[in-house]
Amino acid sequence: MGIISVEHTYRLYWLGRYSERVYTTAGLYAKSFDEMLDLHVDGYADFCRRLDIPNIYTSKEDFCRRYCFDGADENSIYSNLLRAYDNAVVLREEIGSEPLAYIQLAVYEMNKAKLSEAPLIELQRVTDNILAFWGITDDLIESENVRNIIKIGKRVERIDLLARLHMSREDLRREACRLIGRIDRTCLSYHKENLEEIGRLVEAEEIDYYRLVVAVETLLED
Amino acid sequence: MRDFDLYAHTEQVNELLARYGVKFGIYKNNEFREQLFPFDAIPRVIEKADFEYLERGLKQRVIALNLFIRDIYGEKKIVRDKVVPEEFIYASSGYLAQCEGVMPPRGVYTHIAGIDLVQAKDGGWYILEDNLRVPSGASYPVIARELCRRSSPKTFEDIGVEDNRNYAALLKWTMDYVNTGGHNVILTPGRYNAAYFEHSFLAEQTGAHLVSGRELTVEGDHLYFIDYSGRKERIGAVYRRISDEYLDPMNFNKESLIGIPHIYDIYRKGNVALLNAPGNGVADDKGIYYFVPKMIKYYLGEDAILNNAPTYLPFYKEDMDYVLEHFDRLVLKDVAEAGGYGVVFADKMTKREKEDFLVLLKNEPRRFIAQEVIDFRDIDIMEDGERVPRKADLRAFVLMGEEPVVWKSGLTRFSRNPDSFIVNSSQGGGFKDTWVLSR
Repeated sequence: MGIISVEHTYRLYWLGRYSERVYTTAGLYAKSFDEMLDLHVDGYADFCRRLDIPNIYTSKEDFCRRYCFDGADENSIYSNLLRAYDNAVVLREEIGSEPLAYIQLAVYEMNKAKLSEAPLIELQRVTDNILAFWGITDDLIESENVRNIIKIGKRVERIDLLARLHMSREDLRREACRLIGRIDRTCLSYHKENLEEIGRLVEAEEIDYYRLVVAVETLLED
Repeated sequence: MRDFDLYAHTEQVNELLARYGVKFGIYKNNEFREQLFPFDAIPRVIEKADFEYLERGLKQRVIALNLFIRDIYGEKKIVRDKVVPEEFIYASSGYLAQCEGVMPPRGVYTHIAGIDLVQAKDGGWYILEDNLRVPSGASYPVIARELCRRSSPKTFEDIGVEDNRNYAALLKWTMDYVNTGGHNVILTPGRYNAAYFEHSFLAEQTGAHLVSGRELTVEGDHLYFIDYSGRKERIGAVYRRISDEYLDPMNFNKESLIGIPHIYDIYRKGNVALLNAPGNGVADDKGIYYFVPKMIKYYLGEDAILNNAPTYLPFYKEDMDYVLEHFDRLVLKDVAEAGGYGVVFADKMTKREKEDFLVLLKNEPRRFIAQEVIDFRDIDIMEDGERVPRKADLRAFVLMGEEPVVWKSGLTRFSRNPDSFIVNSSQGGGFKDTWVLSR
């Protein structure tokens, strides 16, 4: 009917955030997994510290399995994917069955990867489906507001992750620019001072990553 | 029929059904799980003439049931004339005193009726149950048909099957007919409801908004949806997929957290349509089922076109005597249960169970009905590459606008267990598409 509730607005936003979190952390995980083979065997401790998640893992092997596939680990990629699904599944009439199907497929592929002897190869299918979801979202969803809320969720999450990982100013500037250019094309209520601060922080000579994380995390009004 | 194509792709169709999240939820050991609803590609086929007969019978039945509900919450002529004993009305858990004297918009109570039938070996159809509260299941054959047409296009080129993908249009037509001004919405208890897939699918297909109770509010005698900015949009029709008792904590169950306070007050004033009408449970009670042919005669002056399964009410002494005498060949149903629960086949009981049950039956005769076991016509399913026969029923859907319309398809559910008559999805059954031939 062309109108959207507060609840659905937040669910769309969090669908964007969780889908981005799955996509980006799956890539980071694959890279760290590779490095832990022979370069930094205990690299998972550093991985956890950088992402600000508790290091509850007892070994490299434990990390490799649980961080990716353990539904009981609330920081795992699997848990984040289920949260993306939990948001998507109640948005069928906003986003449509076709886009929703790609999140569903990502869950199936994750479940298959979990049982695989070569999980990294299988994980590629998970991220492929996330990419397909974003693509079809852009192509099929008629409401610009709905499309943009998902994208704002993605941008916020990506800046958050990049800041936590102390990534380059260029990367952060590009993402901040996308966020600033789009947020007013949504119905989201946000703190203007936070947005301005994000813009300032990514331009600073030395980025204050901590303040940047706080600014993006508290961007939206409650 | 190029049926080989159709069956050859069953696995892919089931994969696609999984892809689109065609599932139902069940609670097992206090845990919610989503399960796929297994689809079998061999359709139930109903000949054109056979369907026309069913169509006449189903329309007749639903018109009579609608008149019955109106009468029960109004003049109660059928009780006064002693066609239906009042014990069966007021003792029914579906009877709601709050509905007394309330006339829904345009006088429609049974907007969406799901009538369960079986076909006996002699080809005759028997009604097993009327579902007039929140019958579910129409979405499954719609999406299965869509996928089968993709997987086996040749099959559909010359077979002459009525297209069933108009269900959402029919539903929208029904909602629009009773809409009192404003948007149509589908009210869901939430994603942990067994039929949540269907709620969201029908919302998408009809263009209605899928809402939870907390997104709606009653203000100044009207119902509103509140959007993100606090703007209110008036709602004219609510296809509610929650039970009567949870609909409005101010009028029904006070503990309900999923309902909308005061929605029933404005419904009573005619300011919003509720589909199906609250209080319909009085007419789909398994005890009332026995009286449906009598109500058809009473209200319409006609003999019932479709037969009930031979049913006995132990409430009547004559029937109780019959039940006790022929107990071993009967199926006993608890009138308060649904979903395949509370159904026991006497010949499957142990001696002890039988003794206990007979004590219960004599103490609470109103609680049970007894039926002859109908020898269903089996329908083939594919299992491990072979066709094997299984028990199956048919849920036909009748939608009511100015006139009732029978949807030219239906949900065929089958038992996957060769020894079972229970076809319910919650008990492991699968489903088939239902083809109505157009020539």
